[in-house]
Amino acid sequence: MSRSFCYLLLAPLLGCCLIASGAPLDEPLKPLPAVPEQNPLQVELGRRLFNEPRLSVNNSLSCASCHRLEIGGADDKALSTGFKGDPLTINTPSVFNASLNFRQFWNGRADSLETQAHEVVQSPSEMGSHWEQVVQMLSADPDYKNAFTKAYPDGVTMNNVQSALATYERTLISANSRFDQYLSGNTEILTTDEKYGYQRFKDYGCIACHQGVNIGGNMFQKFGVMGDYFQARGNPTEADLGRYLVTKAEEDRNVFKVPSLRNVAVTAPYFHDGSAKTLEEAVDVMFKFQLGRVPSDKDKDLIIKFLKTLTGEWGGKPL
Amino acid sequence: MKTSPRRNLALLAAVAVLLASTLLFLYLKSSSNETSTYAESRDLIGRIKQLNAQWETEILKARIAISHNYDPLVTPLSEMTRLWQRFESMESNHGRNDTPTWRASHEAYLAAIQEKTRLVEQFKSHNAVLRNSLAFLPTAEDDIQQPLAQLPDEDKLQLQNIATDTYDLLLSSLEFAQVTSDDKAADILLGMNKLGVNKQRLPEQFHSPIDILSNHVTLILREQPVVNRLLENIEAIPVAERLDDITGLLNKDQQQSDAIDQRYHFYMLVFSTLLVLVLVYLAIRLMRSFGETQRVNKELQTANEVLEQRVEERTRELKDTQSELLDTARQAGMAEIATNVLHNVGNVLNSVNISADLVSRRLRSSKAQGLGKAMQLINEHQSDLGTFLTQNEKGKLLPGYLNQLVEAIALEQQGMTEELAQLSKSVDHIKDIVATQQSYAGANNLVEPLYISELLEDALRMNAGALTRHHVTVVKEYGDVPQVMGDKHRLLLILINLISNAKYAMSDLSNRARQITLGVKVVEDTILQISVKDDGEGIAPENMTRIFAHGFTTRKEGHGFGLHSCALAAIEMNGHLTAHSDGPGKGALFTLQIPLNPVMEEA
Repeated sequence: MSRSFCYLLLAPLLGCCLIASGAPLDEPLKPLPAVPEQNPLQVELGRRLFNEPRLSVNNSLSCASCHRLEIGGADDKALSTGFKGDPLTINTPSVFNASLNFRQFWNGRADSLETQAHEVVQSPSEMGSHWEQVVQMLSADPDYKNAFTKAYPDGVTMNNVQSALATYERTLISANSRFDQYLSGNTEILTTDEKYGYQRFKDYGCIACHQGVNIGGNMFQKFGVMGDYFQARGNPTEADLGRYLVTKAEEDRNVFKVPSLRNVAVTAPYFHDGSAKTLEEAVDVMFKFQLGRVPSDKDKDLIIKFLKTLTGEWGGKPL
Repeated sequence: MKTSPRRNLALLAAVAVLLASTLLFLYLKSSSNETSTYAESRDLIGRIKQLNAQWETEILKARIAISHNYDPLVTPLSEMTRLWQRFESMESNHGRNDTPTWRASHEAYLAAIQEKTRLVEQFKSHNAVLRNSLAFLPTAEDDIQQPLAQLPDEDKLQLQNIATDTYDLLLSSLEFAQVTSDDKAADILLGMNKLGVNKQRLPEQFHSPIDILSNHVTLILREQPVVNRLLENIEAIPVAERLDDITGLLNKDQQQSDAIDQRYHFYMLVFSTLLVLVLVYLAIRLMRSFGETQRVNKELQTANEVLEQRVEERTRELKDTQSELLDTARQAGMAEIATNVLHNVGNVLNSVNISADLVSRRLRSSKAQGLGKAMQLINEHQSDLGTFLTQNEKGKLLPGYLNQLVEAIALEQQGMTEELAQLSKSVDHIKDIVATQQSYAGANNLVEPLYISELLEDALRMNAGALTRHHVTVVKEYGDVPQVMGDKHRLLLILINLISNAKYAMSDLSNRARQITLGVKVVEDTILQISVKDDGEGIAPENMTRIFAHGFTTRKEGHGFGLHSCALAAIEMNGHLTAHSDGPGKGALFTLQIPLNPVMEEA
């Protein structure tokens, strides 16, 4: 009697569990990993440095000036403004989930976040500073000096400044998007349209490039596989050369790192040139020049609906 | 010889340090914690190789479109980079990066992996679009076939042909994807041409789907050989071989270092054996020298005991001799004093005798007998006494005679009185001499008021006999000295001795008068100074320091006791006794200085 009673109790319990969690889905897209364990002192130091305008030569720009965390970790301008007030040559990608990209920068010239920070601070158009100057400035500030001494055995050095920044940036994971919850097994969280949108996303071949944990950010691709985007757009610039600027190989002309589609709904404008102001425009360009296909309006709409489920949370709030 | 202990010590320390450092050097050289690092290095290389294989598997999976996720094509590389960095740092810790072979092998690996990475990146890009187009191709074909079937009224046969051509193109493209050959490529080009021709025959609505299809087929035609070539190239990149090379180098290096280790192990063994032998030798030496030391110690102890016994014996003998000598000295002193006393007493007794003789002689020849004769004449003429005295011849002389007699008797009495006084004084002197002698017996520190000059006179008197006998003149230079508090007996002892010594010192003097000078004076109001000076044989300079020592004497019958006891007595009175002589034959001066302690004036 007691055994059968137990089964009776267990059955609804098991049912509840199944409904609540479900098994993670095996999809070409993967949910975001947890934020890695890191030294909290270094993270806090990195946060301060990230917001430190004195990293730029004229104290005008911090990392956060262009990578605005409140609007998706990117700039709302097509081209951000450098320390001199001139627009930069290329669009600012989001800092969120940047640690999951296989390379940094649009043309992938940096292997790590540290290298990325190294270049931006010294870039004559972006922050225009020098590392000796930055280290000197930070050493002269007793607060920073103290924080560095606590976080790093060798105190203020260029490597430690970059390490702190990268450490902080590794915590910038926009977890818990609705799509991630779906991937984790909560299939109820997406609407039918959104699920159809995901289906179209796969069917049309978007996932050929935008896949993996960061939904992009793990390969290079030529911009204009099925047509010459740059001729269509006009006004070719040096930045349009993409990876060619790094390798000087003809096959790398107009090749860029495939950007992550996470938080894509809140990181307009799009592309390395910031030319697409809306998701619709961006999706159109992708279909025309990358996929070489003509989608129905309905399918496009579904895909856009799906893309909007990729917006994650930061600091407990949706981006 | 003088610096040798210090030098020996330094040498010993140097040798010890040398041996210790040699041992340490050999130990460090032979202690091999390298085996574990070799194992770890090999493990790292093995893991990199594994990851490389995994990477290649993922590439193949992507090639045949099993997986649409390209993350697995990224993660092995970053993991490999991480492991390689660990390997590098481990290698550089062991200094292996320095040799050209190592550097070459590392660079070869890095070059290979860099090239492979580049090719894989390209593969990813090309493969992605190729797979996409291949996957899309049936749909694109469908997009043409479907409306084609629905075309109402055209030439059925022509439509059939168009459908077949399109289908053939699809098939050729898919075949081309499987077997990329020039034949297939030619087939595709043929199909494309047909499609282009067919496009013209078909209505407007077909143009776009046909363009899309032909675009994608073109892409396949373009990308498939690229992907194939890339794959071949990737396969050709000898990452695994480079890793094997490194493993081979590691093995070789380990063998070498093992051989070196073994060699140093052997050296250490030899060195340790040598050290043990040296230790054994030293231990034997030590034991021997220890035995020797013990033997010598025992001998030394025995000798010491014998010596102590002898010393004890000698000390006892010396003590006996000393006490004998003391007895002798005391007896001799006593005898000398007794001689002095007896001598003096004899002298005085002589004068007593003379005085007594004189008195008795005076008494015998006294004028008092004349008084009896005068009284007889008076008694005979009692009746006519007046006449007798006035008329008789004899009677007339009688008063005058009586007068003369009275004078004579008075004179006689006076002489005798004087003589008796002299006598009694002599007896007193004898008493004094005896008392002085008695005072020697006691060493009591009796302080009494006395006049130094009187004391000197007493001392002289006690030596008077000898002095007279030796014809010594005494010169007295007495200063104005008040009555003082002093120890009469000690002072007298010193003075008698000094006078006696002076007298003896001059006993051999024959060419000039013998003279003792006694002096008394007060020095600086606090010191009483008494000096006895003779012009006798003097004191040789070499004896000057010894004359107060016990047992020192220059006289044949002397016992070296007198001056010693005088010096002691002087010290007992808080004073001191000093001697001075200009040399042998020039006399000597003994000076006694004691604190002046005058008698307080009675109120």
